Amino acid sequence: MNRPPKPDSMQKKLEDSFDRIEKALTAFLDSLMKNNPSEKLAADLVEADRELHNAVKELETHQNNVAKVKRLKEETDALDQKTKAILQNLWDMRKELKSIPTTSYSDAQPKYRFTTAELLSYARLISPHTLPPAAVLHSLDIASSAANAPSPSPNPNSNNPTAQTPNAMTSSVVGTPSASIPAPTTSGAPAPPTPSNVNSTSQQPQQQQTQPPPAIHQPPSIIPPLPPHITPHLNPHEYQHFVPWPTMAQIRSGALMKVQDLINRGIDPKIYDPEEEERKKKEEEQTRKEAEEQARREREEQERRVREERERMMKEHAEAARQAEAAAAEGAAPSSTGSAMKPPPPKQFQFLDDDDDDDDE
Amino acid sequence: MASDPMPVDTTNLEPPAIPDQNQNPETKTTPQRPEPKYGGHSRFELELEFVQALANPEYVTYLASRKLLVNPAFIAYLDYLQYWSRPPYLKYLTFPTASLKMLELLQVEQFRKDAINPGLAQALIVEGMKSAVEWHRE
Repeated sequence: MNRPPKPDSMQKKLEDSFDRIEKALTAFLDSLMKNNPSEKLAADLVEADRELHNAVKELETHQNNVAKVKRLKEETDALDQKTKAILQNLWDMRKELKSIPTTSYSDAQPKYRFTTAELLSYARLISPHTLPPAAVLHSLDIASSAANAPSPSPNPNSNNPTAQTPNAMTSSVVGTPSASIPAPTTSGAPAPPTPSNVNSTSQQPQQQQTQPPPAIHQPPSIIPPLPPHITPHLNPHEYQHFVPWPTMAQIRSGALMKVQDLINRGIDPKIYDPEEEERKKKEEEQTRKEAEEQARREREEQERRVREERERMMKEHAEAARQAEAAAAEGAAPSSTGSAMKPPPPKQFQFLDDDDDDDDE
Repeated sequence: MASDPMPVDTTNLEPPAIPDQNQNPETKTTPQRPEPKYGGHSRFELELEFVQALANPEYVTYLASRKLLVNPAFIAYLDYLQYWSRPPYLKYLTFPTASLKMLELLQVEQFRKDAINPGLAQALIVEGMKSAVEWHRE
């Protein structure tokens, strides 16, 4: 793009052109007045006129260029403003970033390495004890919204939570939805689930019987509420509780209590090991059984020996009796009177002869 | 009710060996003999249980009522138990916030003196419940 001439040079050029055409015109008019027209002067005038025409054309271009320059300058100014604004924003943002307090890790504190898996497993371990179940939180949300609502008969306990007893506080915090969902009461507005409300649920049926809730003021109560004794059966979260620490019952059933129990019984826990005791007991049981078995076997053995002895003796007796009989028969042959006078020897153990085994059975 | 903590001579007591002994540097120094047991429970188990029980403000009040919190041996034991706030023991606490906060509070003499007041336990219960419910909403 051609650089436009300076305004003063443009003006000078234009003035020169005017001067020239003026001079040429004057010279031509003089020559006409002297009745001596000169062709050369006329040509000069025409030339001057053409130059003027060119100069005017140039002026037009010049003016256009000036306008263009002006426009460009405005554009530059706008862009400058924009750049400045951006820079200002950047600066502000940097200041903002700088002002954010970051966690400063001092080198004095020891650092511990852990893996994501460890972190996740630990999170899973503690999550049931660090965040109440959703049902409890939900009931708390309802409770808090109900507490925020204006109540014509505000419970004094709701304004002073520290004055509540521990069990009452626990029940209010861990209250389940059924206990905390505000049932329509005679006052016409849902009351916050303070312990007194929770405890007085059993009194509500009588109140409702005597004074049914005004359905005009409370559209939701068109659906009659469930009787309090039925709600627990329909609510799976009824007995869900949350305490962010071990309960006293858990502490009482722990290992420390068992150790205390041992001490109370006069047993030194250092030398007492339930597993060891169990093992010893089993061993004793085993030895006792073995001893019994041994005794039983010995007794059987002894009985067997006695029986054999008895059989042996019986056989001996039988043999002796037979021999005596034989001797008697021999003696009777020479003297039959003697034998007839003498009674036969009593047959001892005769009853053992046929079925002696029956005694042992 | 649970017993008094057993170790009284806590002066030179090292933290117990953790059950999973793969990465614990302290196990290298401990001899190979079996861990002594108290009523069938290791020191690790009993101390873990005790530190967790401390999270319950009522239990702390009970301890105070038995004059344990003014016993120098017991105070030394509480100081010794602070190893639970560091790995690798930290990851065994299932009530980390309440347990460690109570352990930290019990290091303060004034708190040990005030712990016998049931009102303090009440305030702790209320605050503990509130923070347990509110912390995730921040």
